[in-house]
Amino acid sequence: MRAFPRRAFMRKPANLLFGVDESPPLSVALLNGLQHAGVIAINLVYPVIVFRTAGVTAEAVTALLGIGCCILGIATFLQALHKGPVGSGYMCPATFTATYLAPSVLAVKTGGLSLVFGMTIFAGLLEAALARVLYKLRAFVPVELSGLVILLIGITVSLVAIRTFLGTTTSAPSAAEWMVAGATLAVTVVLNIWGKGLARMLCALLGIVCGYLAAFFLGVLSEGELGPIAAASWIAIPHWEHSGWSFDAGLVAVFSIAALAAALKAIGTINVCQRTNDAEWVRPDSRSIGRGVLADGLGTAIAGLFGGVGINTSTPSAGLVSATGVASRIVAFVVGAIFLVVGMTPKFTALLAVMPRSVMAAALLFAACFIAVSGLQVISSRMLDVRRTLVIGMGLITGLAVEAIPAVTAGITGWLKPIIGSSLVFGTLVAFLLNLVFRLGVRRAVVLDIDPAGYDPVKIDEFLRAQGAAWGARPDVVNRAIFGVTQLIETVLEPEGSPGTLHLEAGFDEYNLDVRLRYEGVALEFPQTRPSLSEIQESESGARRLAGYLLRRNAERVRADQAGSYAIIQFHFDH
Amino acid sequence: MEIIETRIHAVVVIDVKGRIDSTSAGPLQERLSGLARSDCAGLVIDFKQVPYISSAGFKALLIAAKHGEESGCALVLCGVVGEVRRMFEIAAFDQVFSILATRKECIEQLAAWPKPEGAP
Repeated sequence: MRAFPRRAFMRKPANLLFGVDESPPLSVALLNGLQHAGVIAINLVYPVIVFRTAGVTAEAVTALLGIGCCILGIATFLQALHKGPVGSGYMCPATFTATYLAPSVLAVKTGGLSLVFGMTIFAGLLEAALARVLYKLRAFVPVELSGLVILLIGITVSLVAIRTFLGTTTSAPSAAEWMVAGATLAVTVVLNIWGKGLARMLCALLGIVCGYLAAFFLGVLSEGELGPIAAASWIAIPHWEHSGWSFDAGLVAVFSIAALAAALKAIGTINVCQRTNDAEWVRPDSRSIGRGVLADGLGTAIAGLFGGVGINTSTPSAGLVSATGVASRIVAFVVGAIFLVVGMTPKFTALLAVMPRSVMAAALLFAACFIAVSGLQVISSRMLDVRRTLVIGMGLITGLAVEAIPAVTAGITGWLKPIIGSSLVFGTLVAFLLNLVFRLGVRRAVVLDIDPAGYDPVKIDEFLRAQGAAWGARPDVVNRAIFGVTQLIETVLEPEGSPGTLHLEAGFDEYNLDVRLRYEGVALEFPQTRPSLSEIQESESGARRLAGYLLRRNAERVRADQAGSYAIIQFHFDH
Repeated sequence: MEIIETRIHAVVVIDVKGRIDSTSAGPLQERLSGLARSDCAGLVIDFKQVPYISSAGFKALLIAAKHGEESGCALVLCGVVGEVRRMFEIAAFDQVFSILATRKECIEQLAAWPKPEGAP
């Protein structure tokens, strides 16, 4: 049996109060646990929408939400496990997620709750299976493509929100409902922009509370609807007559994309946890990420098994850990326990079950903004050449066309309908396939021969920048490579110049950018310390040593070799 | 590379446009040293339109600063951002030169500094 080595040498960063393996005082753990639970709680909106769309009774929705909260608790425990094959070991709680909203709504409209649960199990098992082949995924899903998926999720969530509110199958909203929606959104936005501390952190939750109050006072929430809440008990194990599970091959595509998106988001979130906990983080620890994605997938599968919708690691929680400095695993257990208790408090889940559509829509719209913009930021974090621009552009446009122009999907029937009919699926599929095709001809390594007589640093800059865009590299790393090459060539050509043709090679993969320059001459010196100011001012050798010092500091690793009359200089940049 | 000179009383503001590398550093250093040794009380060098500086550029700045020190003309830099800022930082030259955010702050700084003896 394979051993599962844990993170052996992590150094706790200075700004972290409590690292993942440390135990804070109970009061700190409780307060942090409550904060995280508060931030995650607003995502209970997603299962509420799915269950309400199913048209089941309020009591059934109450029980299902209770089960859902218990599932969040179990999934959070699973993720925090640090021994064995499951769990990243980090304080990385689970949350319901926008990723599964559109697919779940589609499933519930097609085949009721049993189809939602059956397809959710499928998605969870698929994500768990993906955990094993993650490292291969990265080659086929470049960073900007995962950004497009996030952007499309944000867009589809906003459309679900608007459709829920405007009521395509139910009545149009009343004036009071518009006011409730406006109040919910306004409070959330005001607290988020101008609020401080806890008020800002829990702005969405407070917005929903205000929305409920407004709905009550404006008559949107009737006494009749509140009756079941008064009747509900304070504590009970949630129980619901399970409708079973069903499966529909036509929904495989949309739930697969959701599972892939969830896996990618889990990778990103666990990455953030790793960086937060290790001052010497250089690159992702793929084993803990694999275990974390497995836990995430199993959490979703368990959700489908017991009657919930898909879950995912909570990215805002990872950000909150950074902000509070409390990364202890104990907090994960506190959060899990809080959700188990909430799940067994029918009064609370009954209150959630009657959430007015105006409150739901406002909360979702707010969330959709952040999701969509986060997707845009991921897309623009990398250099994009023509190929990558077309991949993202076409994916986005086809996704939007499906939503905006019914004629696009008018004649499509059968198994094609859920693929082309869903903006998330179709847009992602188009982008994915185009990416596979356009990868043809992109080389991982390039060479350039430079004639000293015609040397133009601007041409080198353009060459490496174009190559960086073709690779989808990070612009800051490409800038460092450009400085390295141009400063080195400049120094090599001074003062006499003309050492024969310079041979430049550059290679890239997702974690490394390597540059190699070969020229006729003596290898440059790369001193560990900067020459003194007077050395630089008064001697040629001082200026050369300054160049070597700058080049050493510019790259993660420098290597200088002499092969006969040729010098070979290599720069390595971590990507 | 282009150098545009503006005089504001006894302070000379130099706008540098373009790369500062081994080809342009020589003329830049001569111009700066010439001004440093002339009757100006201070020299402001604006890097806002400089996308790149190499070791040759730093050498030119250091020589000009030395000449300025000898003749009582202080050197202050502004507009040091992006890649150029990064180069200043990795060489620790941001500790050697006086660097401020804007041209206005540089001029105010120069006005506030006491003049060394013999300076105009």
